[in-house]
Amino acid sequence: MSLLDRRGLLTGAAAILGVELAAPLARALAAEAAPGFSASHAAFTADQRMLVAAVSERIVPTTDTPGAIAAGVPAFMEMMIADWYEPTDRQEFMDGLGLLEGYAWIQFEKPFAGLVPEEQDHVLTLAMTGRIAALSASFFEHFRQLVLLGYYTSEIGCKQERVYVPVPGRYDGKYPYAEVRRVFSS
Amino acid sequence: MATYEFDAIVIGSGISGGWAAKELCEKGMKVLMLERGRMVEHREDYITEGKGPWQLPYRGTLPAAEVERDHVMSKWGGAASTASTHFFNNDRLNPIDFENSKPFRWVRPAQVGGKSLIWSRVALRWGPNDFEANKRDGHGSPWPISYDEVAPWYSYVETYAGIAGAKDGLPQLPDGEFQKPHPMNAAEIWVKDRLEKAMPDRKLISTRTANMTEDKPEQGRARCQDRNMCARGCSFGAYFSTQAVTLPAARKTGNLTLLSDKVVTNLEYDPKTKRVTGVRTLDANTQEEKIYSSRIVFLCASAMASTQILLNSKLLGSERSFADASGMLGHYIMDHVFRTYFWGTVPDKELDPYIAYGRRPNGVYIPRFRNLNGRQDPDADFVRGYGMQGAAGRNPATPGGFGKAMKEGMRAYGPWTIRFTAFAECLPYKDNTLSLNPGKLDRFGVPLAVFNVTFRENEMRMMRDAAQQGETMMKAASLVDVGSANEEHVPGDAIHEMGGACMGADPRTSVVNRWSQAHDAANLFITDGSQMASTNCVNPSMTFMALTARAADHAVKLVKAGTI
Repeated sequence: MSLLDRRGLLTGAAAILGVELAAPLARALAAEAAPGFSASHAAFTADQRMLVAAVSERIVPTTDTPGAIAAGVPAFMEMMIADWYEPTDRQEFMDGLGLLEGYAWIQFEKPFAGLVPEEQDHVLTLAMTGRIAALSASFFEHFRQLVLLGYYTSEIGCKQERVYVPVPGRYDGKYPYAEVRRVFSS
Repeated sequence: MATYEFDAIVIGSGISGGWAAKELCEKGMKVLMLERGRMVEHREDYITEGKGPWQLPYRGTLPAAEVERDHVMSKWGGAASTASTHFFNNDRLNPIDFENSKPFRWVRPAQVGGKSLIWSRVALRWGPNDFEANKRDGHGSPWPISYDEVAPWYSYVETYAGIAGAKDGLPQLPDGEFQKPHPMNAAEIWVKDRLEKAMPDRKLISTRTANMTEDKPEQGRARCQDRNMCARGCSFGAYFSTQAVTLPAARKTGNLTLLSDKVVTNLEYDPKTKRVTGVRTLDANTQEEKIYSSRIVFLCASAMASTQILLNSKLLGSERSFADASGMLGHYIMDHVFRTYFWGTVPDKELDPYIAYGRRPNGVYIPRFRNLNGRQDPDADFVRGYGMQGAAGRNPATPGGFGKAMKEGMRAYGPWTIRFTAFAECLPYKDNTLSLNPGKLDRFGVPLAVFNVTFRENEMRMMRDAAQQGETMMKAASLVDVGSANEEHVPGDAIHEMGGACMGADPRTSVVNRWSQAHDAANLFITDGSQMASTNCVNPSMTFMALTARAADHAVKLVKAGTI
């Protein structure tokens, strides 16, 4: 469930109950309405949102654990672009999106999101290696890092892909990796 | 005989103020504690404690525009992390000034508890040599006290605060009253074994820290849970803070009145009796003025803030502070020098199968090894010395590319690396000053603090030496990919600012006496970092605690004897 959906649910709950929300609910509502949890305004068009979601899912795909879309990475990216980025960085990112989508249309006559995964991976490999005209390889790296940040700081990234131990209770500086075969999230 | 609202007023509620309040209350004094920041209650106001990154605004990093607008200095203490932004000063609302654009970073807290909530918790004693340094090499004002006089007070505050550390038996870093140390990890032990064998005068020890390894049920505090989220506040009370330790003790006596949001602008002074007669405050929210009076005053507002308050406490009809008969008030501003790093990688495949479980609150420490015991090393082109704080760890692997292979690659760890930061002593220079700008007033009508502080050749030589020695040690310990770096050294950056109201025996050359008592006002005690006559190279908080408890003990004896 997206943050927006959840917020709607909570607001709705307050209306239905017709009472003041219990403190934990009110706190959750206040927290997620606050800056830094969801975009204060739309940074992407509907098409751009599809593009960002499709690229993010190819970068961190669904495997034996959920991928970028399930982890809410596209909404995180929109929040960062809308509210965290400086205007020049935001513009650079938006320009890159346009070039990437333009390439998909020229080569496949389809939006990136409409390509099959193999085609998407082919386009992303070209983007990564700087082989798409006018699109610097740094755009892909930038996009990639934003996806990784969003994914590994998400609840799914921390708890399902990585191992989340909020209260370790002890420190063991010689702990066998074989016990987890994963990274501890912090 | 004058009557007072309170027996004592404590200005500031941080590490020093908390100890002053606890000690004075426990000795039966009716105490008013004034704090310019907002109220933060233990546990209930730790609003980010225990939260995962997805539960923090912007996943933990404040937007750059907001950082530059409101936290241009406090970002150096951690204000850019949304996990603890709320514990830091808004620098836009509380500006400072600079002489000739010389930079200074004044990192300030914004709440009851002060920096005790957000400190790094490194808990080290000074050694005998450090109290003798000024006298020996002629820099600054000689300390009028010796290690032996302070040692029982170190023991006193360590025992109550709960300090974890090993008894390492090093004369330059005296042992104290310790709980068992936090453990080192496999790589740190690996480095220690090789370093100490290759260079027997170097030691690698577990950093002594104010995070407990044993419970203190009598204080309602539990040992550290290895979350390493200290700067958000700790409901276990595992690390020393005003909220967890000194404030509950002071409140328990029934003798404490704590007022937050009270900005102390200046002290009122009677030149006839040579006493502080009142503490003038403005309410931070309503600007309401109120003057409180007491028999004695403990000024613990932080080194720079206490100096600013004193400078703004003028004799009637004079531009001179009542506390400045020596002409030394606002001089000898100091901080540690610390933007020198070095590192190396463990090449040994034997350690590959191991990672760390838990997030330890401390690391390892290489105690000072230069110019020890009052001797000058023949190959050292500087006086005094430095220590080194570090830690080893493994970061997640960083495969490039994208897709399934990358995602799986990120389930592995990179190699064990170890990284250190040197902390060097800054000499006391009389012309490193804090003064006031009467032409620029803040929102409380207080003239802005003007910083005029620079590091000099001795500091720079020490840092160059630290980088060289660091690389030599990393190589001697068989590490690979060894390197070092020096960044710009900006005073204030270490958040170990000291001086401004230095201690000394001679009222002509110092501001407070051997009991932290102002030479110019017998009922005023200045027990925070402003009293420091030199910085040594170790983290200063334990010394502030010890000197504060010692001063409180002495002050109450004087009150009981009717002397003040």
